[in-house]
Amino acid sequence: MLKSLFDSIGQVALFGAKALRDAWVPPFEGEYLLMQFYEIGVGSFFLVVASGLALGVVMTLHTRSTLVQFGATAEIPVFQSLAFFNEIGPLVAALLMAGRVGAGIGAQLANMRATEQIDAIETLSIDSFKLLVVTRVIACTVMLPLLTMFMDAAGIFGGFLSEHVWSHLSWRLYMQRAFDGVALADFLPPTLKTAVFGYLIAVISCFYGYTTNEGSDGVRKAATNSVVVSSLVIILADVILVKCIFFLFPEQAI
Amino acid sequence: MTEGQAGGATIAFEQVEKGFDGRKILDKVSFSVAQGEALCILGRSGTGKSVTLKLMIGLLMADAGKVLVTGEDMSALNEDGLVKVRRKMGYLFQSAALFDSFTVNQNLALPLHRLDRNKSPEEIERVVEETLGEVGLGKDGNKMPSALSGGMQKRAGLARALVLQPEILLVDEPASGLDRITASEIDALLMKVKTERHTTMVIVTHDIHGARKIADKFAVLDQGRLLAFGTPQELDSRNDNRLQQFIAERC
Repeated sequence: MLKSLFDSIGQVALFGAKALRDAWVPPFEGEYLLMQFYEIGVGSFFLVVASGLALGVVMTLHTRSTLVQFGATAEIPVFQSLAFFNEIGPLVAALLMAGRVGAGIGAQLANMRATEQIDAIETLSIDSFKLLVVTRVIACTVMLPLLTMFMDAAGIFGGFLSEHVWSHLSWRLYMQRAFDGVALADFLPPTLKTAVFGYLIAVISCFYGYTTNEGSDGVRKAATNSVVVSSLVIILADVILVKCIFFLFPEQAI
Repeated sequence: MTEGQAGGATIAFEQVEKGFDGRKILDKVSFSVAQGEALCILGRSGTGKSVTLKLMIGLLMADAGKVLVTGEDMSALNEDGLVKVRRKMGYLFQSAALFDSFTVNQNLALPLHRLDRNKSPEEIERVVEETLGEVGLGKDGNKMPSALSGGMQKRAGLARALVLQPEILLVDEPASGLDRITASEIDALLMKVKTERHTTMVIVTHDIHGARKIADKFAVLDQGRLLAFGTPQELDSRNDNRLQQFIAERC
């Protein structure tokens, strides 16, 4: 059991390392990469923005009910922005991507394997790994930080909507309070860590889809494993990355 | 040298062995295919016919023995070497294996875009149109594979296999899942490719009716071994009941 676990981790690590290496080796699949940017980025945009907006509203409602007891409702905007920049935005965007994109990648590649489409690519003298895996890894790595920024923005806007309805707070004052005391170090490292999440989601999902060999049952397993393992790994990686951020930016830990 | 082996062949199997999970699928199989020749591989399901094709194009590697394609030992080639040999080959899959997120046109254009980066989009479009016209799908290029019938998918798969003008065409079960008339149409297309382009062909089939129309030679596999190899006439003349079960025409 333990041996099999370490064996799987080793295989995924080698798979991810190969994707990282091949990303720098020509030919670059520009056209297909653009398709993946569109599919992964634009395709996830609505889900991320809608979730961010709803979370922003809910977060503010919860925070207000607590802070009102201490007369600190003026701090709601900055709590909101810090919560979204530091953790909610990166983590929720990554989990949403694992659900939507991870499952999609796992199922699509497993289906392509089952229906011999990957073999067909190889017979056409095209490197299927570069075409199918590397492009998805690059697209997820690049698009997740961008989606996180949209999630942050939607969450802060959701918070504003809630506050505006509750206390008629103006947009200008809300934004002023939201960004008062927020440093670049509060925003940049947590947003950039999502590039690692994007890479992990793509590598894990591509691994399960690309290496399956079990027909239609393989498609089901690849889709399920992609979501479950990606989500778990993101949460574990988050712990490590937050520690790294605190080490590199000690003022964040205070 | 065993039965079916010859020097200077386009494709040659020399004592090839292949197994999966401890089960031997091919056991010391040797045969060869000359340039411009059509070989039909016959045999029961699970006797390693499709595995034989996959060994030829390097999707699988032999456990022992040699698979030589245009003189190159497939198991000794690196990735670049494999790509060079594969460029000489086309492969029609049993299920056609069209890329389901691409239109038929895009399916054919993909290898042209990737492998001949000097070709202009107009040239690629012209080649795609011509190749689809050859297989009778001139008006269906913008359709998605899911919108095509089984026969049309096979034609589109054949067009994709031919779009790079291969010297060697490997065909896996061209008649599978098709009615007799549609299967005959696919056979006619393969005959046309053979006579007009002088393409070397290896066809795996259960359809002895179609095989007799196209094949210059038969290779009969049984329980992982090469039961017989030769021209249809040579094999017909053999007094071997087991062999006759495979090659006798049954309508």
